[in-house]
Amino acid sequence: MRRPASAFIVHGILGLYTLLALFPIILVIMNSFKAKRAIFNTPLQPPMPWNFDLIGYTKVFGDSALASYYLNSIVVTVGTIFFTLLFGAMAAWALTEYKFRWNTALGIFLAIGIMVPIRLGSVSIIQMVADLNLINTLTALVLVYVAQNLPLAVFILSEFIQQIPKDLREAGRCDGLSEYNIFFFIILPLLRPAMATVAVFTMIPVWNDLWFPLLLAPTGGKQTITLGVQQFLGQYITDWNAVLAALSTAIVPVLILYVIFSRQLIRGLTSGAVK
Amino acid sequence: MSTPHLVGVSRGAYMRSLVFFLAPAVLIYSAFSIYPLLNTILNSFYDKQDNGTFIYNGIANFTTLLTDPTWSAPFWNAFWNNCKFFFIHMLVQNPIGLLLAALLSLPVLRFRSAYRTLIFMPTMLSVVVIGFSWQLILSPLWGIAKMLLQGVGLGFLFGPWLGQESTALLTISLISVWQFVGIPMILIYTALLAIPDELIDAATVDGLNQFQAFFYVKLPLIWPTIGLVSVLTFVNNFNAFDLVYAMKGALAGPNFSADIMGTLFYRVFFGNQLQNGDVSMGATIATMMLIIILCGVMVYLFLVQRRLQRYSF
Amino acid sequence: MAEVRIEKLHKSYGQVDVLKDINLIVEDGSFVVLVGPSGCGKSTLLRSVAGLEPVTGGDISIDGRNVSDLAPAKREIAMVFQSYALYPHMNVENNMAFGLKFAKTPKAEIAARVAEASRILQLDALLKRRPKELSGGQRQRVAIGRAIVRKPKVFLFDEPLSNLDAALRVNTRVEIANLHKLLKATILYVTHDQVEAMTLADKIVVMNQGRIEQAGKPLELYYKPANLFVARFIGSPAMNILPAKISKDGKSVLVQGTKLPLGLKPQNGEMIQFGFRPEHSAFAKSGIPVTVNLIERLGEVGYAHCRTVDGLSVLVEIKGDPKLPVGTKAFVTPANQHMHIFDENGDRLNA
Repeated sequence: MRRPASAFIVHGILGLYTLLALFPIILVIMNSFKAKRAIFNTPLQPPMPWNFDLIGYTKVFGDSALASYYLNSIVVTVGTIFFTLLFGAMAAWALTEYKFRWNTALGIFLAIGIMVPIRLGSVSIIQMVADLNLINTLTALVLVYVAQNLPLAVFILSEFIQQIPKDLREAGRCDGLSEYNIFFFIILPLLRPAMATVAVFTMIPVWNDLWFPLLLAPTGGKQTITLGVQQFLGQYITDWNAVLAALSTAIVPVLILYVIFSRQLIRGLTSGAVK
Repeated sequence: MSTPHLVGVSRGAYMRSLVFFLAPAVLIYSAFSIYPLLNTILNSFYDKQDNGTFIYNGIANFTTLLTDPTWSAPFWNAFWNNCKFFFIHMLVQNPIGLLLAALLSLPVLRFRSAYRTLIFMPTMLSVVVIGFSWQLILSPLWGIAKMLLQGVGLGFLFGPWLGQESTALLTISLISVWQFVGIPMILIYTALLAIPDELIDAATVDGLNQFQAFFYVKLPLIWPTIGLVSVLTFVNNFNAFDLVYAMKGALAGPNFSADIMGTLFYRVFFGNQLQNGDVSMGATIATMMLIIILCGVMVYLFLVQRRLQRYSF
Repeated sequence: MAEVRIEKLHKSYGQVDVLKDINLIVEDGSFVVLVGPSGCGKSTLLRSVAGLEPVTGGDISIDGRNVSDLAPAKREIAMVFQSYALYPHMNVENNMAFGLKFAKTPKAEIAARVAEASRILQLDALLKRRPKELSGGQRQRVAIGRAIVRKPKVFLFDEPLSNLDAALRVNTRVEIANLHKLLKATILYVTHDQVEAMTLADKIVVMNQGRIEQAGKPLELYYKPANLFVARFIGSPAMNILPAKISKDGKSVLVQGTKLPLGLKPQNGEMIQFGFRPEHSAFAKSGIPVTVNLIERLGEVGYAHCRTVDGLSVLVEIKGDPKLPVGTKAFVTPANQHMHIFDENGDRLNA
């Protein structure tokens, strides 16, 4: 049972792929800190004192409204997570706990959303948002993203709620709590780990989405950072410093969040897939 | 009068609490997810006139899309590109994901979580970042890709892949694979973890080596997950838009060689320098995409659900 | 069948020693049971013999051949796992034939062996079914069948009865005992249940914290436990243990204020542990003074839970229905030839 040779191959393959996965990212971030000539002449060299240059970053943060776009992304993401979790938990609770005539039908109705891509209804969504006078608002984005993420959130949270022992709710009822109280004071606190998972799971796709910001909030200062970087890149396409800096500012926050939350994220991904 | 379910709670109060809990989710979901979808399908049966009104058109839009050369040529082009996109993912992304998952699930492995975290990282990044970073790397101007290929003696392979009709779609597909390999990897990895250790011990005692244990014991038991991964790939690929748009814009050049149904839809609906926006035809394309995706899902449900019985523990 | 010889076996995980200096012989054709509390190392020892766990030191020999560096498949062993470990995607017949196919056994031979195992275990009606269509007991038999077809030199059983319900456990225990006689197999068997150990074993090996506390025939361990641990582990309900003072000449012991006669050699120390089993004691006119707390009647036999003057618990077996209301003060006399003395290290002091 001792085979050092095969361990070498295993780590070789894994290591090689990890390098492949990380290489573009490292390259971009590294070169964003270098002067233009160094980028072209010695692209593989890490930023050294003699080629260090922050000119790209000054352009990024000085010339454009990218900082405000960060704020937009944060508002949209946090808003989406908040409402998805709240409404999702409430719906999951009702579907799991209460027996009523349309329980199963409603469950299936919501489950459809998991598999069917909501983007295909964009035509109508745009019309609706325009009719409601919500074009170029963050509200429109939050509404759409909540609708998009509710089905999966309800599904995952339902599974968790089912694991909460029935005794707790019954003790609550015996103690005289109303159904609303039971939900908000007993169930919700116990759902925290599940909600953390769903939050992390929802956060990244919403932050990174290009489609809906492009369709619903393309101008007027309400762009998300993803769209903003896209537009910035289109504008500064020949300015390599600015471009690399912009990319890095888009990469780094996500990476940091990811490294912090990677365990929850992977757990959320796998529990969501066991449909 | 008590509800059948809760003693001492009046029917009215019971209903009220139900509505309270369910309403927000159901309303938002129906309004912004289901209704638009149905409306889009409806829209595809109408034709928008120049004066803004809609007249009922039956399936004329569909026939136009599929047979009228002005529409059908780009449509079928986009459709075939989607198919190629899908095939490349199935041939490259999923086997690599399977290989990585198999390696990660080995009983003894140092740095396991580090590998897992790092390999999954590209999936976290936005398409904008990925699209542009790769554009830079593959750009003949910067020359990094060329330099690296020359380093391993494959310099002759290099070309302006993104700018060439023959290789643009392939290149973008591979970049998409690079981004998303983490997902099949994680899903298959989790499925492999669910296989009880004792089963592998039994196989070891039965005389199987690592490879044989993988092919004859583990693989059969994860077929359901592989099926799931396949249908997810299908849905994602036929729904794709972001990467192509980020790298090539709405025109998905060169010469529409990277055009997929998503970009076609975007172009048709919103118009561009070549044509005006066409709401009805846009809706038609979206409906076609829906139908294609639903067909794929139906095939999956039918095939896999039948086989699913065989492999449960 | 063959003899298994384990010499100076040692296994550690980093700083932690999981198995310490294990020396054991499993005689050809004998049924040896490894028993002990959770974490004592019995499963680890079994898996080491199987080759599923690497060891840090020592040797394992099967049938005279040193197998310490060999893979499980080459050791000519067969293992029955606690959760049966049947391949879910194969039917019963293929489950049993699977390993043989990989050993490149000829098809006719495979068919013959599967047929024979099936006959012995009465699996003929189940051959085409899949594991999830079988009950727990049936799955257990298939797992045993899979082991039989390999014609191993040694059978290894890892707590095979733990997942069965109580009634089924008794039946299957008898089946395993019969199987042993029929096949004249060398069996190494792990369990945490001392009743299984007592009834099935030719030799019991009691383990604790990676060490062998005592190995011997079941009744040997029952009547002459080598130390406190074995004394308390074997026998249910457990032996009564009371602190006592032994006289310098070894002729008497002072227990809870009462002097009882002994027949030991002159002693060095004074403080000892005094033990006697509930079934080897009775209420009498004199002896250890106790107060009766609770009577448990199980039919013809029962147990009186008592407390000594120092508040220590003592169990006495009672027969029939004696009048012993709670609070009765009585005297307990242990049977003379069934008294156990353990020194301050917990080891047995012998006459």
